[in-house]
Amino acid sequence: MHHAFKLGDAEHNVALSRSAQAYRLHIGDAVLDVDLAVGADGRAWLTLGERHLEVVVATRGDDVFVHVDGEAYQLRYRHPLDRLAAQAGGSADDHIRAPMPGSIVLVSVAAGDAVTKGQTLLVMESMKMETTIAAPRDGVIATVTYEKGQTFDRDALLLSLEAQT
Amino acid sequence: MTAPLTETPVTQTPAPDVRRWPFDTVLVANRGEIAVRVLRTVQKLGLKGAVVYHAADRGTAAVKMADVAIEITGATPVASYLDGAQIIAAAQRCGAGAIHPGYGFLSENKGFCQAVEAAGLRFIGPTPEQIDLMGDKVRARNFVEKAGFPVAPSAIEDDDPATFVERARAVGAPLLIKPSAGGGGKGMRIVRDLALLEQEIERGRSEGQRYFGDGRLYVERYIENPRHIEVQVLGDGQGGVVHVFERECSVQRRFQKIVEETPSPALDAALRDKICETAAGIARSIGYRNAGTVEFIFGQGGDPGAGNGAGAGYFYFLEMNTRLQVEHPVTEEITGIDLVQEQLRVAAGETLGYGQADVKSRGHSIEFRIYAEDAARGYTPTTGPVLVLHPPQGEGVRWDSGILQGGEVTSAFDPMIAKLIVRGVDRNDAIARADRALKETVLLGCKTNTAFLRRLIAHPAFVAGDVHTGFLDANPQIAAEPELPAETLQALLAAAALSTRPMRDVADAVPDLHAAIGAWRN
Repeated sequence: MHHAFKLGDAEHNVALSRSAQAYRLHIGDAVLDVDLAVGADGRAWLTLGERHLEVVVATRGDDVFVHVDGEAYQLRYRHPLDRLAAQAGGSADDHIRAPMPGSIVLVSVAAGDAVTKGQTLLVMESMKMETTIAAPRDGVIATVTYEKGQTFDRDALLLSLEAQT
Repeated sequence: MTAPLTETPVTQTPAPDVRRWPFDTVLVANRGEIAVRVLRTVQKLGLKGAVVYHAADRGTAAVKMADVAIEITGATPVASYLDGAQIIAAAQRCGAGAIHPGYGFLSENKGFCQAVEAAGLRFIGPTPEQIDLMGDKVRARNFVEKAGFPVAPSAIEDDDPATFVERARAVGAPLLIKPSAGGGGKGMRIVRDLALLEQEIERGRSEGQRYFGDGRLYVERYIENPRHIEVQVLGDGQGGVVHVFERECSVQRRFQKIVEETPSPALDAALRDKICETAAGIARSIGYRNAGTVEFIFGQGGDPGAGNGAGAGYFYFLEMNTRLQVEHPVTEEITGIDLVQEQLRVAAGETLGYGQADVKSRGHSIEFRIYAEDAARGYTPTTGPVLVLHPPQGEGVRWDSGILQGGEVTSAFDPMIAKLIVRGVDRNDAIARADRALKETVLLGCKTNTAFLRRLIAHPAFVAGDVHTGFLDANPQIAAEPELPAETLQALLAAAALSTRPMRDVADAVPDLHAAIGAWRN
């Protein structure tokens, strides 16, 4: 079964299987013997083929944080079902997510409102700058997540449009 | 390899006898790393340290460290730290005889300083008059100019609004338009073509109105590729004033400092003396009490105007900050002076007890502001839980931080979450220590700028000390995320796959024997 991780904007397909001693990681056509011995405080010893690396790992929900070679990275596990749903229904534009953390200055629409492409949906403030979120297409508002004054984190779902029929 | 450091403090400051002080408890009206920093000295001296905190900061390092912690409330977390009346009431409730404002928030608020004194408490800072004078950039500049110190050629609208455009034109291009009430780089405009002057003045005015509710402007000569060099001063308000050398703060993004160091690589001995003496002179001219910072803009080469630099560089007074500065630790590292202790001593009525000749320095120190931000995405702030935090350790490494493992970085406050300060026998030694310390710093759960800082200090221009305030804008590739080496990607995917429960479960569901057979098929 194939799984995937999102790292930055790229998605990487991987599979994991047992080996006699530990695990095998399948990336494309490549197969690597891998293992992870977890110690205290997130510190871990990663076996990667012939290489052994000291890493620090932490997880929260679907996010995996890895510190390797002096740098920290964030990977997000993509559930096979979610990926399927994303491919089958609606465009990605139906869900409007926050490009950065901030707070809501103004909400101009409510669930059920019909909107036209380019219409102002809400105004958010981040880094002392105001950003207007406009409708990506004609449609009907499905959900509005936040009220005026509330704060949100990056990638938070701000509002969504009803799927196109 | 880095050389061993000498551990003897080079500047001897008097050991305070706190039993004779007019207060035994100091309330810190701040949060995060600076609250921790101030509490450290307060407690080291044998005084009790109190802190106010908003609910968003419950469980942070400062709250845990304080002898007394009093919750304050407000419409927003920031508003609570700006509520002077509530903070003074908290100080009285816990019997604090003095309030240390840290930096930001109420640290340069004359009204707060007066209210603290009116309540019979000591303000760990300057007098209200000194805050007032230096808090208004225009008045500060006029004062400094009249006192005979170098300021950039400029025109102030308030002097005579009718002739402002004319006088601005006389300053000459390139020039910089700034809102009089401004700060943090907001609303500043560079004019290189005087034909656009009037148009740009109107834009600057509407921005000033929007940001600060005040459309008054001033213009000054713009220095191409300037450096930001500032000088630490200490005054006791009783005639004692010393400078504690300079700090170079030229590496900035969005007009905010990222890396600060001392000594400045731009100054030779003569220029260093000159700029430091100028700063001390300014502080002396107002009988300054407290730690303070005089900021200068520094241009390379000869001054197009006056003769204040002998060809190797010239400088103009920019502003004076009448508080402890974020980057104060580098000064402490090279001089051995605990600046917070000196602030407390002079606020308690002591004199400095030493003169300029007693202030000595050794080695080189660099501070890195650890920001929760994504450098590659225009330095936008990031948020998230602090799942794992391994601060860097070792000789010559100092970590000033207000966050703890298990805490959370939110968008409620400034994205600066910690400061890494290194000290080396010289600049190259300090850079080597910094690279190692940044590499060892582990913070998982929220993206920080540590990898970006490592790219920055590896850049040949930084290594050569050849930077200016526009350096990062001119070199955007430093902020860009470099391509991931294939081997690193493999390591990341392996670590992630082995840490993801659904993946391990699927793999483990296949019995070992089956897996062994599977190996033959591969």
